[in-house]
Amino acid sequence: MGMTEGQPAAAPWPAPGRDLAPLLALVARGDQAAFATVYDHSAALVFGLVRRVVRDPAQSEEVTQEVMLEVWRTASRFDPHRGSAMAWLMTMAHRRAVDRVRSGLAAAQRETRAAVAVTDYDVVAEEVETRLDAQRVRRCLDSLTELQRESVTLAYYGGYTYREVAGLLGVAVGTVKTRMRDGLIRLRDCLGDGS
Amino acid sequence: MRIRREVPHTLAGAYVLDALTEPDRVRFERHLAGCEACRQEAASLREAAGRLAAVPAVPPPPHVREQVLTEAARTRQQPPLTADALAGPGRRAIRWRAPRMAVAIAGGCILVALVLGGLFIHTQRSLSAEQAHNRAIATILNAPDATIMSAKAMTSGSATVVMSHRDHALVLTTAMLPALPAGQRYQVWLMGTRRTRPAGMLPVPHRGMTAPVVVSGVAPGDMVGLTVESASGSTVPSSAPVLMLVLPF
Repeated sequence: MGMTEGQPAAAPWPAPGRDLAPLLALVARGDQAAFATVYDHSAALVFGLVRRVVRDPAQSEEVTQEVMLEVWRTASRFDPHRGSAMAWLMTMAHRRAVDRVRSGLAAAQRETRAAVAVTDYDVVAEEVETRLDAQRVRRCLDSLTELQRESVTLAYYGGYTYREVAGLLGVAVGTVKTRMRDGLIRLRDCLGDGS
Repeated sequence: MRIRREVPHTLAGAYVLDALTEPDRVRFERHLAGCEACRQEAASLREAAGRLAAVPAVPPPPHVREQVLTEAARTRQQPPLTADALAGPGRRAIRWRAPRMAVAIAGGCILVALVLGGLFIHTQRSLSAEQAHNRAIATILNAPDATIMSAKAMTSGSATVVMSHRDHALVLTTAMLPALPAGQRYQVWLMGTRRTRPAGMLPVPHRGMTAPVVVSGVAPGDMVGLTVESASGSTVPSSAPVLMLVLPF
């Protein structure tokens, strides 16, 4: 699988100087060309995240389609005062991905397929990885306690509920709840430091 | 509406990680609606959680792009939210319209709809089945504890429910949900503390409205959900609900 003609490589995210907010305002008014541009700048990031959570490539494609159509449908609801366009978009992507793995449709398949399907994508992923931000997030994740980190990553990348995470880690539900919150506070502070 | 259990502040982390079950999430969003400090904290944690999305980007195959652009060209967009908007970013808004208010009046409106709806129900059911169906509806509408509520779909359109606790049953109608391609229908679910149970298929809409569906066996803590399924129905939801409605218990 190679890059598509006319499609730029993945945009760095958060993308300085490539704010999608003005484009979303055009999309909200039905501008299909603007929507195509938004797609080109975000689809690889959406697909990367969705695939990480959902695992199955075919289902990840479906979820990516759902997300991008949700962007089209709900562009008028994007409020630039509440956060960046990319954060808005990736929030939708994550929710859709999690909804998919919880629907039961994916649950049965993802374990069996995960090991098989991922390989050929990783070559491409190598090429387009947004190294800088990913590295920084990883470094900040390393600054959490192990329980905080496990709680946050199992929930976010694994698509598990906090109750399921408690089961996986063998700790009380209340403990997981507070570790998720504390972990995110620490992550927020670390990322905000600009280090 | 009674909150079933206290929603502690500490759920903010699980919430922004999308790690709450659907009932927990709905309850927490209710809690957020009345707590400015919680909203602010959730927003700042949301930004941090959003950064976790910085995983390796992978371009989807080209056909995805074609399908998305084709589909967008024939998909109606949502209008902007106006002044009283309270929805969180990108998430379905569950709005209460006067719960427990003017049941008699609203019930009357629904009855009018039923009479009109009966014109086309006729063609779909035998007479006796239709009479039983209408009797079941009338029983719920006339129950002393009948409560009406409605919710907007995350797509477009809305659902209205008249519910009777006494009868553990409800009547559901919808208006202006997005039309579905042939081979797909909306399916009704009861989603609650017990497992999610299928609760019937919505009939094909007539001028945007669906004829009333009766759902029985409603348990405390249940919510009503609508998903898009194949026309034959599913045993478990295969997609995210387009609408969730919390029932008062």
